[in-house]
Amino acid sequence: MESVLVLKDYKTVPDIVHEYEPSLKFGHIPLVIDNGSYQCRVGWSIYDEPQLIFKNLIARPRKDRSKKDAEPPVTPPIQIGNDIVNIEAVRFQLKTQFDKNVVTHFEAQEQVCDYIFSHLAIDSESCVPHPIVMTEAFVNPNYCRQLMSELLFEAYAVPAVSYGVDSLFSMYKNEIGDTALIVNCGYHTIHIIPVIKGQVVEEHARRINLGGSEMICYLHKLLQLKYPVHVNAITMSRAEEILHEHCSLALDYQEEIRKWASPEYYEANVKRIQLPFVQTTSSSTLTAEQQKERKKEMARRLLEINARKREERLAEDEEQLNQLLAIQELIEDGDTDEFNEAIKGFDIKSYEDLQRQIANVNMRIEKNKQRIASAATAEDMPEPRPTGRIQPPTDPEALETWLTETRAKYCELLSRREARRARRAAMVRRRTAAAAERMRVISRLAAAGDEFGNQDSDWDAYKSISRDADSDSEADGERLMELEEALREHEPQTSSNQHHQLHLAIEPIRAPELMFQPSMMGNLEAGLAETMEYVFKHFNPEEQLLLANNVFVTGGCSQFPGLKERLERELLEMRPFQTTHRVVMAKNASLDAWYGARDFAGSNEFENWCITKEEYYEMGGEYLKEHHASNRYYKSPAPITDNTLAPAGDANVVKEEIVIDC
Amino acid sequence: MFVFLFCSKMTAEYDKSFRFKKENKFLVKSGCKKRMWRSLKQILTAERALPWHNEAVLYYSINAPPTFKPTKKYSDISGLPAPYMDRHSKLFYSNVEEFTTVRSLPMDITAGYLQLRGANTIVG
Repeated sequence: MESVLVLKDYKTVPDIVHEYEPSLKFGHIPLVIDNGSYQCRVGWSIYDEPQLIFKNLIARPRKDRSKKDAEPPVTPPIQIGNDIVNIEAVRFQLKTQFDKNVVTHFEAQEQVCDYIFSHLAIDSESCVPHPIVMTEAFVNPNYCRQLMSELLFEAYAVPAVSYGVDSLFSMYKNEIGDTALIVNCGYHTIHIIPVIKGQVVEEHARRINLGGSEMICYLHKLLQLKYPVHVNAITMSRAEEILHEHCSLALDYQEEIRKWASPEYYEANVKRIQLPFVQTTSSSTLTAEQQKERKKEMARRLLEINARKREERLAEDEEQLNQLLAIQELIEDGDTDEFNEAIKGFDIKSYEDLQRQIANVNMRIEKNKQRIASAATAEDMPEPRPTGRIQPPTDPEALETWLTETRAKYCELLSRREARRARRAAMVRRRTAAAAERMRVISRLAAAGDEFGNQDSDWDAYKSISRDADSDSEADGERLMELEEALREHEPQTSSNQHHQLHLAIEPIRAPELMFQPSMMGNLEAGLAETMEYVFKHFNPEEQLLLANNVFVTGGCSQFPGLKERLERELLEMRPFQTTHRVVMAKNASLDAWYGARDFAGSNEFENWCITKEEYYEMGGEYLKEHHASNRYYKSPAPITDNTLAPAGDANVVKEEIVIDC
Repeated sequence: MFVFLFCSKMTAEYDKSFRFKKENKFLVKSGCKKRMWRSLKQILTAERALPWHNEAVLYYSINAPPTFKPTKKYSDISGLPAPYMDRHSKLFYSNVEEFTTVRSLPMDITAGYLQLRGANTIVG
């Protein structure tokens, strides 16, 4: 029995408010924000590590709608990033400013910025007096950049902003030269970006719209479908943990999964993951006995109560009889006056009435006496066993054999039932062997002569052609239930922790494989290897060789064990015979973008790469100052306006926002 | 536009603990008119509609090409290579044992597997 992996269920720790030192406050220190769709990393450019690392998520608890309009609705506190300690509790209220890898929801972005600046304890009046380095998506739409600049310059009055691409920052941080093929595996996308002599060849870069979040969802759904019983215990965060800690990429997927077909390989390599569970109080074996005891006790007490009641009633009746007899004596003595007086109290009208009443009471007494006698004998008798229940032998060895026998019987019955069902199902459809057989029996029945029915077994022919459940199956069904109950009661209980284990076989390599085969989740895009091949084709052989010799892999999702080997294998397959290739992994796949951006902010030329407030007002919100790690700036052209229909407005202004009721 | 201005006025006193803030740019107080944000898809459509220069590289233009390799079939329930498909549920399976399992699966599970593979649409 190999070890069972236990889920850790990581909890986040709420961020502290960092100190806003005077050196920062008056030093005009740039602030570096790696605004990723998975995590946001924030820190001052003079520090080695980012101060804040949190998931770019916002949880706004729902408003209490039950309250009346009279009192103003109380806005519940908004939780951001690491404030969300239990993410599963607010799973359905989660928001993010991202749509894929692009920021589109700027109200959420503003909340996140508030969170960032307040946790850095910036306390200057009505401004954030620091230049900002912010990462943005590769080929970020101008519209989104415009809104981001609006936010930073107008809401926070920052002096300057510089935008860069995370994967390019990461590449420069790793100092791998100025020609490389960047493979950036992110949370929503995988980018393949060729860089030649420091120039990003944007037109030949490609993006696969698939990333870590898709893998998490895929694994989550896969496990839920495999274990429908634990559908609530298998949460997104647990799927994420499994993906982070137990998944890897197969070197040769086809070969790897073929290995899993053998049961021995499965047994030796399966990963068992323990879900948390509550140990049920051992109600199975012990209480069965106890329950029987209790039932017996109850029955005994009930009998006692009944006996007591009967005796009480008997005494009552005898008392009444005595009184009635006394009255009768009165009349026999000829004391009419006293008799009349007495019967008034007893609600008796005449002597006949009295006679009848006496007879009645006598009968009642007789009946009661009989009942008491019968109850007394019943108590002495040993109580009969409830019928219909199968009793196993008490001897443990015999019990063992009995159990195996019962199990075998049970299985046999089950398979017989299955076979019958299958036959019946086949009979309904045409052109099956069973249907043909049925027709044959029917035709033989039609042709049968007078001797049909001489033997009882002849009548079984009707059973075999009946399409409905026959008496055989009913009898079998009852027997099956009986056996099932007996087995359930007497089989040794398997410990309940095994019921709460997930067995991972191919799943840990199946989820990351989505990178290479998006078709597994119905995505028709080419996989990572195929897209790389596609990108290579756009370059001449010399450039191809340069790129292949410097394939740089970065991004949080690139940390799967085996990715480097897999990429090397794929390159060997796609590159011409006997050419060289090299795969370089980022030193710190998820943080190198921040480190790169920090170095960028610390360089002497940084001021030249910043968009200042003046430039923002002059050039417009979408304006971008290009540098080695930035996107290329293409000024948005004026939209084609149809002058005949509408008066021409300011063509450069992006259309007015729609404002609607909430 | 008037509504929008009104909103920002109302939210001006919003949480003065953020001293660094000049104004609320996009945040609106609850109960006020909410701005609708365009989805990425809408943004891209708007972007495509503009008369760009030929050399401009836009978000939509760097999408990965469609795959040209034949897609491999894997068993839905185990992930093994699957040469067969159950005609009833349309699930892929790899051997006899899996077939019996597939046949015993309830509808919601088979539908879930098909959805996971993106094969639940009637077309295609």
